Amino acid sequence: MNDMPYTPEQFMNAEQEMDQLLEQSAEKYKVSTNAMFAKLSDLANLTLDDLKRWSRANSLWPMQFGLACCAMELLDFGSARIDAERKGYLLFRGTPRQTDVMIVAGWVTKSMVPRVKRLYEQMAKPSYVIAYGECATSGGPWWQSYNIIQGIDQVLPVDVYVIGCPPKPENLFAGLMKLQDKIRGNVVGDTERSISENARRTENKRV
Amino acid sequence: MAIMRLNVGPIHPSTHGVLRLVVDVDGDTVKSVEPHIGFLHRGVEKLMENRMYMQSPSYVEKLDYVAPLSWDDLYVAAVEQATGILCKERAQFARVVLLEFQRIASHLLWLGTFANDVGQLFTLFMWCFRERAMILKLLEDVSGSRMFYVNLRLGGLYQDLPSDFKDRAYKLADYLEGKIVEYPDVLDENPIFLERTKGIGVLGKEDAINYGVSGPVLRASGIEEDTRKSNPYYTYGRIKFRIPTGNRGDSYDRYKVRYEEMLQSIRIIRETLDLMPDKGDVIGLPIKLIGPNAKPAPVMISRELPRGEGMIYMIPDKQKPYRISMRSPAFVNLAALPKMSENCKFADLFPTLGSIDIVLAELDR
Repeated sequence: MNDMPYTPEQFMNAEQEMDQLLEQSAEKYKVSTNAMFAKLSDLANLTLDDLKRWSRANSLWPMQFGLACCAMELLDFGSARIDAERKGYLLFRGTPRQTDVMIVAGWVTKSMVPRVKRLYEQMAKPSYVIAYGECATSGGPWWQSYNIIQGIDQVLPVDVYVIGCPPKPENLFAGLMKLQDKIRGNVVGDTERSISENARRTENKRV
Repeated sequence: MAIMRLNVGPIHPSTHGVLRLVVDVDGDTVKSVEPHIGFLHRGVEKLMENRMYMQSPSYVEKLDYVAPLSWDDLYVAAVEQATGILCKERAQFARVVLLEFQRIASHLLWLGTFANDVGQLFTLFMWCFRERAMILKLLEDVSGSRMFYVNLRLGGLYQDLPSDFKDRAYKLADYLEGKIVEYPDVLDENPIFLERTKGIGVLGKEDAINYGVSGPVLRASGIEEDTRKSNPYYTYGRIKFRIPTGNRGDSYDRYKVRYEEMLQSIRIIRETLDLMPDKGDVIGLPIKLIGPNAKPAPVMISRELPRGEGMIYMIPDKQKPYRISMRSPAFVNLAALPKMSENCKFADLFPTLGSIDIVLAELDR
Protein backbone atom coordinates (compact mmCIF):
# COMPACT_ATOMS: atom_id res chain seq x y z
CA MET A 1 0.00 0.00 0.00
CA ASN A 2 2.86 2.33 0.82
CA ASP A 3 4.33 1.86 -2.66
CA MET A 4 1.40 3.40 -4.28
CA PRO A 5 2.39 6.63 -6.04
CA TYR A 6 -0.63 8.48 -4.76
CA THR A 7 -2.85 8.58 -1.73
CA PRO A 8 -6.55 7.68 -1.97
CA GLU A 9 -7.44 11.38 -1.37
CA GLN A 10 -5.34 12.40 -4.33
CA PHE A 11 -7.04 9.73 -6.38
CA MET A 12 -10.43 11.09 -5.41
CA ASN A 13 -9.29 14.59 -6.34
CA ALA A 14 -7.99 13.39 -9.66
CA GLU A 15 -11.28 11.77 -10.39
CA GLN A 16 -13.08 15.06 -9.68
CA GLU A 17 -10.60 16.96 -11.85
CA MET A 18 -11.22 14.52 -14.64
CA ASP A 19 -14.94 15.03 -14.33
CA GLN A 20 -14.45 18.80 -14.48
CA LEU A 21 -12.25 18.51 -17.55
CA LEU A 22 -14.84 16.36 -19.21
CA GLU A 23 -17.56 18.82 -18.43
CA GLN A 24 -15.49 21.73 -19.71
CA SER A 25 -14.70 19.97 -22.93
CA ALA A 26 -18.31 19.00 -23.35
CA GLU A 27 -19.28 22.65 -22.98
CA LYS A 28 -16.49 23.78 -25.24
CA TYR A 29 -17.28 21.47 -28.08
CA LYS A 30 -20.98 21.21 -27.54
CA VAL A 31 -22.94 21.55 -30.74
CA SER A 32 -26.08 23.29 -29.69
CA THR A 33 -29.06 21.61 -31.22
CA ASN A 34 -31.37 24.51 -30.50
CA ALA A 35 -29.08 27.33 -31.58
CA MET A 36 -31.66 28.60 -33.99
CA PHE A 37 -34.31 28.67 -31.27
CA ALA A 38 -31.98 30.42 -28.86
CA LYS A 39 -31.48 33.24 -31.31
CA LEU A 40 -35.19 33.44 -31.95
CA SER A 41 -35.88 33.68 -28.21
CA ASP A 42 -33.41 36.57 -27.95
CA LEU A 43 -35.30 38.29 -30.70
CA ALA A 44 -38.56 37.53 -28.98
CA ASN A 45 -37.27 39.07 -25.75
CA LEU A 46 -36.34 42.22 -27.59
CA THR A 47 -39.63 42.56 -29.39
CA LEU A 48 -41.67 41.53 -26.38
CA ASP A 49 -40.43 44.62 -24.58
CA ASP A 50 -41.30 46.76 -27.56
CA LEU A 51 -44.61 45.01 -27.89
CA LYS A 52 -45.38 45.73 -24.24
CA ARG A 53 -44.58 49.39 -24.66
CA TRP A 54 -46.53 49.59 -27.88
CA SER A 55 -49.60 47.97 -26.41
CA ARG A 56 -49.43 49.96 -23.17
CA ALA A 57 -49.03 53.22 -25.05
CA ASN A 58 -51.93 52.50 -27.35
CA SER A 59 -54.48 51.36 -24.80
CA LEU A 60 -54.60 54.05 -22.17
CA TRP A 61 -57.65 53.66 -19.98
CA PRO A 62 -58.26 56.80 -17.94
CA MET A 63 -60.26 56.65 -14.75
CA GLN A 64 -63.52 58.56 -14.39
CA PHE A 65 -62.34 60.55 -11.44
CA GLY A 66 -63.29 64.20 -11.19
CA LEU A 67 -62.46 66.24 -8.14
CA ALA A 68 -63.27 69.85 -8.96
CA CYS A 69 -63.48 72.41 -11.76
CA CYS A 70 -61.20 70.60 -14.17
CA ALA A 71 -63.66 67.71 -14.22
CA MET A 72 -65.90 69.92 -16.37
CA GLU A 73 -63.17 70.03 -18.97
CA LEU A 74 -62.78 66.27 -18.63
CA LEU A 75 -66.48 65.97 -19.51
CA ASP A 76 -65.86 68.15 -22.52
CA PHE A 77 -62.88 65.94 -23.39
CA GLY A 78 -65.24 62.98 -23.40
CA SER A 79 -67.80 64.69 -25.61
CA ALA A 80 -67.97 64.86 -29.37
CA ARG A 81 -65.92 67.98 -30.07
CA ILE A 82 -62.65 66.24 -29.22
CA ASP A 83 -62.80 62.75 -30.59
CA ALA A 84 -60.45 61.17 -28.07
CA GLU A 85 -60.98 57.61 -29.22
CA ARG A 86 -59.11 58.14 -32.45
CA LYS A 87 -55.85 58.01 -30.47
CA GLY A 88 -56.86 55.11 -28.27
CA TYR A 89 -57.89 57.02 -25.18
CA LEU A 90 -60.99 54.99 -24.68
CA LEU A 91 -64.01 55.57 -22.54
CA PHE A 92 -63.57 56.61 -18.95
CA ARG A 93 -64.07 53.66 -16.63
CA GLY A 94 -65.83 53.91 -13.32
CA THR A 95 -63.64 51.52 -11.35
CA PRO A 96 -59.90 51.86 -10.74
CA ARG A 97 -59.31 48.15 -11.35
CA GLN A 98 -59.97 48.55 -15.06
CA THR A 99 -57.82 51.64 -15.56
CA ASP A 100 -54.18 52.58 -15.80
CA VAL A 101 -54.23 56.36 -16.14
CA MET A 102 -55.32 58.59 -13.28
CA ILE A 103 -56.10 62.15 -14.29
CA VAL A 104 -56.09 64.18 -11.10
CA ALA A 105 -58.47 67.00 -12.01
CA GLY A 106 -58.78 69.47 -9.20
CA TRP A 107 -57.42 70.42 -5.82
CA VAL A 108 -56.71 67.62 -3.37
CA THR A 109 -57.78 68.33 0.17
CA LYS A 110 -56.23 66.66 3.18
CA SER A 111 -59.30 64.51 3.67
CA MET A 112 -59.10 63.31 0.05
CA VAL A 113 -55.41 62.33 0.17
CA PRO A 114 -55.84 58.82 1.67
CA ARG A 115 -58.68 58.11 -0.74
CA VAL A 116 -56.73 59.22 -3.80
CA LYS A 117 -53.81 57.12 -2.59
CA ARG A 118 -56.01 54.07 -2.22
CA LEU A 119 -57.43 54.56 -5.70
CA TYR A 120 -53.91 54.71 -7.08
CA GLU A 121 -52.98 51.50 -5.34
CA GLN A 122 -56.08 49.77 -6.71
CA MET A 123 -55.26 50.65 -10.31
CA ALA A 124 -53.83 48.09 -12.70
CA LYS A 125 -50.05 48.32 -12.81
CA PRO A 126 -48.15 49.92 -14.46
CA SER A 127 -50.23 52.97 -13.72
CA TYR A 128 -49.63 56.54 -14.75
CA VAL A 129 -50.66 59.81 -13.16
CA ILE A 130 -51.44 63.04 -14.96
CA ALA A 131 -51.68 66.21 -12.88
CA TYR A 132 -54.36 68.19 -14.71
CA GLY A 133 -54.54 71.87 -13.91
CA GLU A 134 -52.81 74.26 -11.56
CA CYS A 135 -54.35 72.88 -8.38
CA ALA A 136 -53.09 69.36 -8.96
CA THR A 137 -49.73 70.70 -10.10
CA SER A 138 -48.93 73.12 -7.31
CA GLY A 139 -52.02 73.96 -5.28
CA GLY A 140 -52.98 76.77 -7.67
CA PRO A 141 -54.96 79.66 -6.22
CA TRP A 142 -55.53 77.75 -2.98
CA TRP A 143 -51.83 77.55 -2.30
CA GLN A 144 -52.18 79.34 1.04
CA SER A 145 -55.20 77.38 2.19
CA TYR A 146 -54.99 75.32 5.36
CA ASN A 147 -56.76 72.30 3.94
CA ILE A 148 -54.94 71.74 0.64
CA ILE A 149 -51.83 69.84 -0.33
CA GLN A 150 -49.65 71.85 -2.69
CA GLY A 151 -49.77 69.53 -5.65
CA ILE A 152 -50.54 65.85 -6.06
CA ASP A 153 -46.84 65.10 -6.61
CA GLN A 154 -46.41 65.25 -2.84
CA VAL A 155 -48.37 62.02 -2.67
CA LEU A 156 -48.21 60.24 -6.02
CA PRO A 157 -45.50 59.98 -8.70
CA VAL A 158 -46.64 62.23 -11.54
CA ASP A 159 -45.81 61.46 -15.16
CA VAL A 160 -47.18 64.46 -17.00
CA TYR A 161 -48.19 67.91 -15.78
CA VAL A 162 -50.86 69.69 -17.82
CA ILE A 163 -50.98 73.34 -16.85
CA GLY A 164 -53.72 75.92 -17.18
CA CYS A 165 -56.64 76.99 -15.04
CA PRO A 166 -58.37 74.94 -16.26
CA PRO A 167 -56.36 73.58 -19.19
CA LYS A 168 -58.33 73.30 -22.38
CA PRO A 169 -59.36 69.78 -23.40
CA GLU A 170 -56.88 70.10 -26.24
CA ASN A 171 -54.14 70.43 -23.63
CA LEU A 172 -55.19 67.17 -22.04
CA PHE A 173 -55.03 65.57 -25.46
CA ALA A 174 -51.47 66.86 -25.87
CA GLY A 175 -50.66 65.62 -22.36
CA LEU A 176 -51.88 62.13 -23.14
CA MET A 177 -49.82 62.11 -26.33
CA LYS A 178 -46.82 63.13 -24.24
CA LEU A 179 -47.55 60.25 -21.88
CA GLN A 180 -47.65 57.88 -24.84
CA ASP A 181 -44.26 59.15 -25.95
CA LYS A 182 -42.95 58.57 -22.45
CA ILE A 183 -44.26 55.02 -22.31
CA ARG A 184 -42.69 54.28 -25.68
CA GLY A 185 -39.38 55.54 -24.29
CA ASN A 186 -39.12 58.48 -26.67
CA VAL A 187 -38.83 61.12 -23.97
CA VAL A 188 -35.38 61.79 -22.64
CA GLY A 189 -35.21 61.95 -18.88
CA ASP A 190 -37.24 60.43 -16.13
CA THR A 191 -38.65 57.38 -17.86
CA GLU A 192 -37.45 55.08 -15.13
CA ARG A 193 -40.57 55.10 -13.03
CA SER A 194 -43.12 54.56 -15.70
CA ILE A 195 -41.23 51.67 -17.25
CA SER A 196 -39.87 49.91 -14.20
CA GLU A 197 -43.06 50.14 -12.17
CA ASN A 198 -41.29 51.59 -9.15
CA ALA A 199 -44.37 53.20 -7.76
CA ARG A 200 -43.23 54.81 -4.55
CA ARG A 201 -40.06 56.56 -5.63
CA THR A 202 -41.36 60.10 -5.67
CA GLU A 203 -43.28 59.61 -2.50
CA ASN A 204 -40.23 58.43 -0.63
CA LYS A 205 -38.33 61.39 -1.92
CA ARG A 206 -40.73 64.10 -0.90
CA VAL A 207 -43.05 63.06 1.91
CA MET B 1 -85.51 42.17 6.61
CA ALA B 2 -82.45 43.45 8.32
CA ILE B 3 -81.33 46.93 7.45
CA MET B 4 -78.04 47.15 5.60
CA ARG B 5 -75.82 50.21 5.63
CA LEU B 6 -74.17 51.11 2.32
CA ASN B 7 -71.41 53.60 1.75
CA VAL B 8 -71.46 55.47 -1.57
CA GLY B 9 -68.60 57.70 -2.52
CA PRO B 10 -66.78 60.01 -2.05
CA ILE B 11 -65.42 58.93 -5.41
CA HIS B 12 -68.27 57.47 -7.39
CA PRO B 13 -69.33 58.05 -11.00
CA SER B 14 -72.87 59.13 -10.13
CA THR B 15 -72.38 61.42 -7.16
CA HIS B 16 -71.47 64.44 -9.34
CA GLY B 17 -68.24 65.10 -7.53
CA VAL B 18 -66.87 64.03 -4.19
CA LEU B 19 -70.02 63.52 -2.18
CA ARG B 20 -70.32 60.69 0.29
CA LEU B 21 -73.72 59.17 1.00
CA VAL B 22 -74.38 56.74 3.82
CA VAL B 23 -77.52 54.88 2.82
CA ASP B 24 -79.57 52.49 4.97
CA VAL B 25 -81.41 50.04 2.74
CA ASP B 26 -84.05 47.50 3.58
CA GLY B 27 -83.85 45.12 0.65
CA ASP B 28 -84.02 47.55 -2.27
CA THR B 29 -85.84 50.30 -0.41
CA VAL B 30 -83.96 53.29 0.92
CA LYS B 31 -84.73 53.88 4.58
CA SER B 32 -82.46 56.83 5.24
CA VAL B 33 -79.82 58.85 3.42
CA GLU B 34 -77.13 60.84 5.12
CA PRO B 35 -74.98 63.10 2.94
CA HIS B 36 -71.42 63.69 4.17
CA ILE B 37 -69.73 66.74 2.70
CA GLY B 38 -66.48 68.63 3.12
CA PHE B 39 -64.13 66.74 0.79
CA LEU B 40 -63.48 69.89 -1.23
CA HIS B 41 -63.32 72.37 1.62
CA ARG B 42 -60.50 74.85 1.18
CA GLY B 43 -61.62 77.87 3.17
CA VAL B 44 -62.57 80.34 0.43
CA GLU B 45 -64.11 82.83 2.80
CA LYS B 46 -60.99 82.91 4.95
CA LEU B 47 -58.76 83.34 1.90
CA MET B 48 -60.94 86.18 0.63
CA GLU B 49 -60.56 88.05 3.90
CA ASN B 50 -56.87 88.30 3.12
CA ARG B 51 -57.24 89.56 -0.45
CA MET B 52 -58.00 92.98 -1.89
CA TYR B 53 -61.52 93.28 -3.27
CA MET B 54 -60.80 92.70 -6.94
CA GLN B 55 -58.37 89.86 -6.34
CA SER B 56 -61.21 87.67 -5.16
CA PRO B 57 -63.43 87.20 -8.26
CA SER B 58 -61.23 84.36 -9.40
CA TYR B 59 -61.86 82.61 -6.07
CA VAL B 60 -65.59 83.21 -6.32
CA GLU B 61 -65.76 81.81 -9.85
CA LYS B 62 -64.30 78.52 -8.73
CA LEU B 63 -67.15 78.08 -6.28
CA ASP B 64 -69.58 77.12 -8.99
CA TYR B 65 -67.55 75.81 -11.86
CA VAL B 66 -70.61 75.01 -13.96
CA ALA B 67 -71.78 78.64 -14.02
CA PRO B 68 -68.78 80.73 -12.93
CA LEU B 69 -70.05 84.04 -14.27
CA SER B 70 -73.11 84.00 -12.01
CA TRP B 71 -71.09 83.89 -8.80
CA ASP B 72 -68.66 86.43 -10.23
CA ASP B 73 -71.57 88.76 -10.86
CA LEU B 74 -72.93 88.23 -7.34
CA TYR B 75 -69.60 89.09 -5.75
CA VAL B 76 -68.87 92.08 -7.98
CA ALA B 77 -72.36 93.42 -7.28
CA ALA B 78 -71.69 93.12 -3.56
CA VAL B 79 -68.44 95.06 -3.91
CA GLU B 80 -70.19 97.65 -6.09
CA GLN B 81 -72.77 98.14 -3.38
CA ALA B 82 -70.11 98.42 -0.71
CA THR B 83 -68.05 100.97 -2.63
CA GLY B 84 -71.06 102.85 -4.00
CA ILE B 85 -70.17 102.42 -7.66
CA LEU B 86 -73.06 102.15 -10.11
CA CYS B 87 -72.93 99.81 -13.08
CA LYS B 88 -72.98 101.59 -16.45
CA GLU B 89 -76.18 101.20 -18.44
CA ARG B 90 -74.84 99.36 -21.48
CA ALA B 91 -72.77 97.16 -19.20
CA GLN B 92 -75.96 96.19 -17.37
CA PHE B 93 -77.49 94.96 -20.64
CA ALA B 94 -74.30 93.14 -21.54
CA ARG B 95 -74.18 91.47 -18.13
CA VAL B 96 -77.76 90.27 -18.45
CA VAL B 97 -77.04 88.74 -21.85
CA LEU B 98 -73.87 87.02 -20.63
CA LEU B 99 -75.54 85.80 -17.42
CA GLU B 100 -78.46 84.28 -19.31
CA PHE B 101 -76.12 82.55 -21.74
CA GLN B 102 -74.26 81.21 -18.72
CA ARG B 103 -77.53 79.98 -17.24
CA ILE B 104 -78.35 78.10 -20.44
CA ALA B 105 -74.87 76.57 -20.48
CA SER B 106 -75.27 75.44 -16.89
CA HIS B 107 -78.68 73.89 -17.50
CA LEU B 108 -77.37 72.17 -20.65
CA LEU B 109 -74.59 70.53 -18.68
CA TRP B 110 -77.08 69.49 -16.02
CA LEU B 111 -79.44 68.03 -18.61
CA GLY B 112 -76.69 66.00 -20.26
CA THR B 113 -75.44 64.47 -17.03
CA PHE B 114 -78.95 63.96 -15.67
CA ALA B 115 -79.90 61.99 -18.78
CA ASN B 116 -76.84 59.83 -18.13
CA ASP B 117 -78.00 59.22 -14.55
CA VAL B 118 -81.43 58.14 -15.68
CA GLY B 119 -80.06 55.77 -18.27
CA GLN B 120 -80.45 57.73 -21.48
CA LEU B 121 -76.78 57.11 -22.08
CA PHE B 122 -74.71 59.69 -23.94
CA THR B 123 -77.09 60.70 -26.74
CA LEU B 124 -78.35 63.75 -24.94
CA PHE B 125 -74.95 64.26 -23.35
CA MET B 126 -73.39 64.70 -26.78
CA TRP B 127 -76.18 66.98 -27.95
CA CYS B 128 -76.00 69.20 -24.87
CA PHE B 129 -72.24 69.53 -25.06
CA ARG B 130 -72.48 70.47 -28.73
CA GLU B 131 -74.67 73.45 -27.81
CA ARG B 132 -72.67 74.27 -24.70
CA ALA B 133 -69.49 74.50 -26.76
CA MET B 134 -71.13 77.20 -28.91
CA ILE B 135 -72.01 79.27 -25.83
CA LEU B 136 -68.54 78.86 -24.37
CA LYS B 137 -67.08 80.04 -27.67
CA LEU B 138 -69.06 83.27 -27.50
CA LEU B 139 -68.15 83.83 -23.84
CA GLU B 140 -64.53 83.08 -24.67
CA ASP B 141 -64.51 85.69 -27.40
CA VAL B 142 -66.03 88.25 -25.03
CA SER B 143 -63.81 87.52 -22.05
CA GLY B 144 -60.70 85.81 -23.38
CA SER B 145 -61.04 82.65 -21.34
CA ARG B 146 -62.90 79.44 -21.97
CA MET B 147 -64.16 78.55 -18.54
CA PHE B 148 -63.23 81.10 -15.88
CA TYR B 149 -64.02 84.46 -17.43
CA VAL B 150 -62.92 86.97 -14.82
CA ASN B 151 -64.28 89.76 -16.97
CA LEU B 152 -66.52 91.74 -14.62
CA ARG B 153 -65.06 94.89 -13.13
CA LEU B 154 -66.51 97.47 -10.77
CA GLY B 155 -69.05 99.38 -12.87
CA GLY B 156 -68.81 97.34 -16.03
CA LEU B 157 -66.75 94.83 -17.96
CA TYR B 158 -63.00 94.73 -18.41
CA GLN B 159 -62.98 95.51 -22.12
CA ASP B 160 -65.35 96.60 -24.83
CA LEU B 161 -67.62 94.04 -26.39
CA PRO B 162 -66.68 92.66 -29.82
CA SER B 163 -68.07 94.79 -32.65
CA ASP B 164 -70.29 91.96 -33.90
CA PHE B 165 -71.48 90.96 -30.43
CA LYS B 166 -75.16 91.69 -31.07
CA ASP B 167 -75.29 89.80 -34.36
CA ARG B 168 -73.55 86.80 -32.91
CA ALA B 169 -75.74 86.77 -29.82
CA TYR B 170 -78.91 86.92 -31.93
CA LYS B 171 -77.66 84.12 -34.16
CA LEU B 172 -76.60 82.01 -31.20
CA ALA B 173 -80.02 82.48 -29.56
CA ASP B 174 -81.71 81.33 -32.76
CA TYR B 175 -79.39 78.36 -33.06
CA LEU B 176 -79.93 77.34 -29.43
CA GLU B 177 -83.69 77.59 -29.68
CA GLY B 178 -83.71 75.45 -32.81
CA LYS B 179 -81.65 72.76 -31.09
CA ILE B 180 -83.22 72.86 -27.63
CA VAL B 181 -86.75 72.26 -28.93
CA GLU B 182 -85.51 68.93 -30.30
CA TYR B 183 -84.63 67.55 -26.86
CA PRO B 184 -88.15 66.49 -25.77
CA ASP B 185 -88.19 64.06 -28.71
CA VAL B 186 -85.80 61.80 -26.86
CA LEU B 187 -87.02 62.61 -23.34
CA ASP B 188 -90.75 63.27 -23.19
CA GLU B 189 -91.57 60.39 -25.53
CA ASN B 190 -89.14 58.02 -23.90
CA PRO B 191 -91.04 55.61 -21.61
CA ILE B 192 -87.92 54.73 -19.62
CA PHE B 193 -87.19 58.37 -18.88
CA LEU B 194 -90.79 58.99 -17.85
CA GLU B 195 -90.92 55.88 -15.66
CA ARG B 196 -87.75 56.84 -13.87
CA THR B 197 -88.60 60.50 -13.26
CA LYS B 198 -92.38 60.83 -12.85
CA GLY B 199 -93.43 60.49 -9.22
CA ILE B 200 -89.83 59.94 -8.10
CA GLY B 201 -88.17 62.17 -5.53
CA VAL B 202 -91.27 64.11 -4.62
CA LEU B 203 -90.83 67.25 -2.53
CA GLY B 204 -94.13 68.78 -1.49
CA LYS B 205 -94.92 72.50 -1.31
CA GLU B 206 -94.72 72.78 2.48
CA ASP B 207 -91.58 70.68 2.71
CA ALA B 208 -89.94 72.83 0.05
CA ILE B 209 -90.61 75.95 2.09
CA ASN B 210 -89.56 74.35 5.36
CA TYR B 211 -86.29 73.05 3.97
CA GLY B 212 -85.51 76.47 2.49
CA VAL B 213 -84.75 75.19 -1.01
CA SER B 214 -84.56 77.70 -3.84
CA GLY B 215 -84.24 77.91 -7.58
CA PRO B 216 -85.66 75.26 -9.92
CA VAL B 217 -86.15 72.81 -7.04
CA LEU B 218 -88.47 75.28 -5.30
CA ARG B 219 -90.27 76.21 -8.50
CA ALA B 220 -90.85 72.57 -9.41
CA SER B 221 -92.75 72.24 -6.13
CA GLY B 222 -95.19 74.86 -7.33
CA ILE B 223 -93.95 78.07 -5.76
CA GLU B 224 -93.45 81.00 -8.10
CA GLU B 225 -90.38 82.62 -6.60
CA ASP B 226 -87.57 84.12 -8.59
CA THR B 227 -85.22 86.87 -7.46
CA ARG B 228 -85.20 88.24 -10.97
CA LYS B 229 -88.94 88.98 -10.58
CA SER B 230 -89.38 89.57 -6.87
CA ASN B 231 -86.35 91.81 -6.46
CA PRO B 232 -85.31 92.80 -9.97
CA TYR B 233 -81.72 93.85 -10.56
CA TYR B 234 -80.01 95.21 -13.68
CA THR B 235 -82.57 95.36 -16.48
CA TYR B 236 -84.72 92.41 -15.47
CA GLY B 237 -87.48 94.79 -14.35
CA ARG B 238 -87.94 96.06 -17.90
CA ILE B 239 -88.18 92.66 -19.54
CA LYS B 240 -91.21 90.43 -19.82
CA PHE B 241 -90.63 86.80 -19.01
CA ARG B 242 -92.44 83.96 -17.34
CA ILE B 243 -91.39 81.95 -14.30
CA PRO B 244 -91.92 78.28 -15.16
CA THR B 245 -93.32 76.21 -12.30
CA GLY B 246 -94.29 72.62 -11.75
CA ASN B 247 -97.00 71.23 -9.52
CA ARG B 248 -95.93 67.77 -8.34
CA GLY B 249 -92.37 68.49 -7.24
CA ASP B 250 -90.88 65.29 -8.66
CA SER B 251 -87.76 64.76 -10.79
CA TYR B 252 -89.74 65.18 -13.98
CA ASP B 253 -90.98 68.61 -12.90
CA ARG B 254 -87.47 69.68 -12.00
CA TYR B 255 -86.34 68.66 -15.50
CA LYS B 256 -89.29 70.46 -17.07
CA VAL B 257 -88.72 73.66 -15.06
CA ARG B 258 -85.07 73.81 -16.12
CA TYR B 259 -86.00 73.05 -19.70
CA GLU B 260 -88.56 75.87 -19.75
CA GLU B 261 -86.04 78.17 -18.07
CA MET B 262 -83.67 77.69 -20.98
CA LEU B 263 -86.35 78.84 -23.39
CA GLN B 264 -87.20 81.79 -21.12
CA SER B 265 -83.52 82.71 -21.00
CA ILE B 266 -83.44 82.81 -24.78
CA ARG B 267 -86.44 85.12 -24.66
CA ILE B 268 -84.70 87.35 -22.11
CA ILE B 269 -81.58 87.45 -24.29
CA ARG B 270 -83.58 88.53 -27.33
CA GLU B 271 -85.49 91.24 -25.49
CA THR B 272 -82.35 92.54 -23.81
CA LEU B 273 -80.53 92.71 -27.12
CA ASP B 274 -83.50 94.64 -28.57
CA LEU B 275 -83.26 97.21 -25.77
CA MET B 276 -79.46 97.34 -25.67
CA PRO B 277 -77.92 100.55 -27.06
CA ASP B 278 -75.46 100.04 -29.89
CA LYS B 279 -72.91 102.45 -28.55
CA GLY B 280 -71.85 103.41 -25.08
CA ASP B 281 -69.24 102.75 -22.47
CA VAL B 282 -69.04 99.33 -20.86
CA ILE B 283 -65.58 99.48 -19.38
CA GLY B 284 -65.40 99.45 -15.60
CA LEU B 285 -62.66 100.39 -13.18
CA PRO B 286 -59.38 98.66 -13.90
CA ILE B 287 -58.04 96.29 -11.26
CA LYS B 288 -55.87 98.23 -8.89
CA LEU B 289 -54.61 96.87 -5.65
CA ILE B 290 -55.61 100.11 -3.93
CA GLY B 291 -59.15 100.74 -5.12
CA PRO B 292 -61.86 103.05 -3.85
CA ASN B 293 -62.58 102.72 -0.14
CA ALA B 294 -65.67 100.78 0.84
CA LYS B 295 -68.29 102.12 3.24
CA PRO B 296 -68.36 100.28 6.55
CA ALA B 297 -72.08 99.39 6.36
CA PRO B 298 -72.73 95.63 6.00
CA VAL B 299 -73.84 94.45 2.58
CA MET B 300 -76.43 91.77 1.93
CA ILE B 301 -77.17 90.96 -1.67
CA SER B 302 -78.89 88.14 -3.48
CA ARG B 303 -78.99 86.97 -7.08
CA GLU B 304 -80.80 84.24 -8.97
CA LEU B 305 -78.08 81.75 -9.83
CA PRO B 306 -78.77 78.73 -12.05
CA ARG B 307 -78.95 76.56 -8.93
CA GLY B 308 -81.06 78.85 -6.81
CA GLU B 309 -80.79 81.98 -4.78
CA GLY B 310 -77.23 82.84 -3.85
CA MET B 311 -76.49 85.43 -1.21
CA ILE B 312 -73.44 87.27 0.02
CA TYR B 313 -73.26 88.89 3.42
CA MET B 314 -70.20 91.07 3.73
CA ILE B 315 -68.87 93.37 6.39
CA PRO B 316 -66.54 95.60 4.41
CA ASP B 317 -63.29 96.99 5.58
CA LYS B 318 -61.55 99.71 3.59
CA GLN B 319 -59.69 97.65 1.02
CA LYS B 320 -60.76 94.11 1.75
CA PRO B 321 -63.69 92.39 3.41
CA TYR B 322 -63.52 92.12 7.18
CA ARG B 323 -65.83 89.12 7.06
CA ILE B 324 -67.63 87.55 4.14
CA SER B 325 -70.19 84.79 4.20
CA MET B 326 -71.87 83.12 1.27
CA ARG B 327 -75.15 81.27 1.04
CA SER B 328 -74.79 78.40 -1.36
CA PRO B 329 -78.10 77.30 -2.90
CA ALA B 330 -76.76 73.81 -3.61
CA PHE B 331 -75.96 73.31 0.09
CA VAL B 332 -79.51 74.10 1.13
CA ASN B 333 -81.01 72.06 -1.71
CA LEU B 334 -78.95 69.00 -0.81
CA ALA B 335 -80.40 69.09 2.69
CA ALA B 336 -83.74 68.14 1.15
CA LEU B 337 -82.34 64.93 -0.37
CA PRO B 338 -83.22 62.67 2.61
CA LYS B 339 -86.80 63.94 2.43
CA MET B 340 -87.01 63.45 -1.34
CA SER B 341 -85.63 59.93 -1.30
CA GLU B 342 -87.74 58.65 1.57
CA ASN B 343 -88.80 55.06 0.85
CA CYS B 344 -87.68 55.21 -2.78
CA LYS B 345 -85.83 52.40 -4.52
CA PHE B 346 -82.05 52.45 -4.36
CA ALA B 347 -81.76 52.85 -8.14
CA ASP B 348 -83.91 55.98 -7.96
CA LEU B 349 -81.63 57.65 -5.43
CA PHE B 350 -79.15 58.84 -8.03
CA PRO B 351 -81.64 60.35 -10.50
CA THR B 352 -83.08 62.20 -7.51
CA LEU B 353 -79.64 63.40 -6.48
CA GLY B 354 -78.92 64.41 -10.07
CA SER B 355 -82.17 66.34 -10.34
CA ILE B 356 -81.14 68.64 -7.47
CA ASP B 357 -78.13 69.81 -9.51
CA ILE B 358 -75.46 70.05 -6.86
CA VAL B 359 -71.98 71.47 -7.31
CA LEU B 360 -69.67 70.19 -4.63
CA ALA B 361 -67.16 73.02 -4.70
CA GLU B 362 -69.90 75.51 -3.95
CA LEU B 363 -71.29 73.24 -1.27
CA ASP B 364 -68.03 72.79 0.61
CA ARG B 365 -66.59 76.26 0.00
